[in-house]
Amino acid sequence: MHIMEGFLPHPWWEIWFAIALPIVAYGVYRLSKLTKKIPEAKPLLALMGAFIFVLSALKLPSVTGSSSHPTGAGLAAVVVGPGITSVLSIIVLIFQALLLAHGGLTTLGANTFSMGIVGPFVAYAIWIAAKKVRLPTSVGIFLAAAIGDLVTYVVTSAQLALVFPTAGGFFDAFLTFGSIFAVTQVPLAIGEGLLAVVLFDFLAKYKGQLLSAMKVIKLPTPASTHKEPKQQ
Amino acid sequence: MAHSELYAQIDRYAYINPLAKTSPVTKMLFALSALIISVSSPSPVVPIIVFAATTILLLRLAKIPVHFYLDMLAYPTVMLALSCLIIALFFGTGEPLTQIAFPWFMWTIFKSGIALSVATFLRVEGALSCLFFLVLTTSITDIFITLRRARVPKVLVEMALLIYRYIFVFIEVAEKMNTAQKLRLGHSGWMRRIRSLALLSGNLFIRTLEQGERTLTAMNARGYDGNIRVLEDQPPAKKTALAGIIIFDIMLVLAAYLTLNTGVL
Repeated sequence: MHIMEGFLPHPWWEIWFAIALPIVAYGVYRLSKLTKKIPEAKPLLALMGAFIFVLSALKLPSVTGSSSHPTGAGLAAVVVGPGITSVLSIIVLIFQALLLAHGGLTTLGANTFSMGIVGPFVAYAIWIAAKKVRLPTSVGIFLAAAIGDLVTYVVTSAQLALVFPTAGGFFDAFLTFGSIFAVTQVPLAIGEGLLAVVLFDFLAKYKGQLLSAMKVIKLPTPASTHKEPKQQ
Repeated sequence: MAHSELYAQIDRYAYINPLAKTSPVTKMLFALSALIISVSSPSPVVPIIVFAATTILLLRLAKIPVHFYLDMLAYPTVMLALSCLIIALFFGTGEPLTQIAFPWFMWTIFKSGIALSVATFLRVEGALSCLFFLVLTTSITDIFITLRRARVPKVLVEMALLIYRYIFVFIEVAEKMNTAQKLRLGHSGWMRRIRSLALLSGNLFIRTLEQGERTLTAMNARGYDGNIRVLEDQPPAKKTALAGIIIFDIMLVLAAYLTLNTGVL
């Protein structure tokens, strides 16, 4: 969904920066609080960033001044929280713009808003809701990652439609962009959901201590083992 | 994968080009100010000037080979041209240019759609040339040192440097595991290939994480306090270069005002 460098004209690129930056600032605050409290979380945070980088660099071209790819931000939102994910995303997006010419610096605000803010916050909300209604962990992770990915593209379509209207108005342009993306994005989102389930299982199995310190999962304590059976 | 090799070269040029040892502040100021003015300009003339100026600087001063620069531009330009074609044919409002009647719907091409498409094409090419100037002349390390000096929060720069390192760890670990799987016939047949891929993606994650944890332990043992210090040997910005950039920017803004009413069509 990385919108190409320069694709958004003035004043849209400034507007998206103005919307995205306060939330990233909140993320920086959360990040410095977490790394002070649990310094051992740093490798996991950096790994999540690298994961977002690698997944969102696997792009399929799309004829919308953009591209189609998994985002990885849904899993990151579940593991490190949506605020911190927005910081990781903006860093990753800068690297992709600089190293791969994928996305751009002026479109950084818009891309951060879709991939680093709306996607992760929706994914996190779904994950919390799934936990509330006691869905199995794997279903919750799948839904969070897949829907978080799709929502990102809905936002990108809206961002493009605001700049490039059709005769049918904003909504018509929005549907046009959305349907171009949907062809490649729906299968990719399902794939990303499945991958997220596999990876989260691995993380819970090998790094359960760290995840429970970050309050992502509850490790069964001896007293509560019979009440809440371990997922693995 | 010629495409990905191309991008591996960008980093190499950032270190070996004749401008590599000049002040990163100057280079960043030039690229970013030209980028912002070019993207914000309503007139299509400014992106053309910016594209010409950055291209000449890249080829003459930074001595980037012409064929490499063209290779870099080729992929985004093709994608951009396709996107702009779609915009020209299907987008726009207001005065129609031509109408083609199909049995089931009326296809209208709008003047404003074509104007929008041409303006977008020029704007993106101008912006891309600025971005390429920045990445081909300035290394990532230099950019981060400059950001740290510009008082960007420390925790952000630290996280960025860690992620940067991790991207390469990730790729190295993946390559090693892929080779190992291939050697043990892990890629013989469809089902086995999918199973190998699942094993690789899961283990890749844990392996990279563990390697990172060991690195952090090693860094802690050497007194890591949240600051990653690197040798900062970049020269300070030259006053003449800064003055030149400011004059160039003022000229761009003037050009934008003078050609304000120049439509594309």
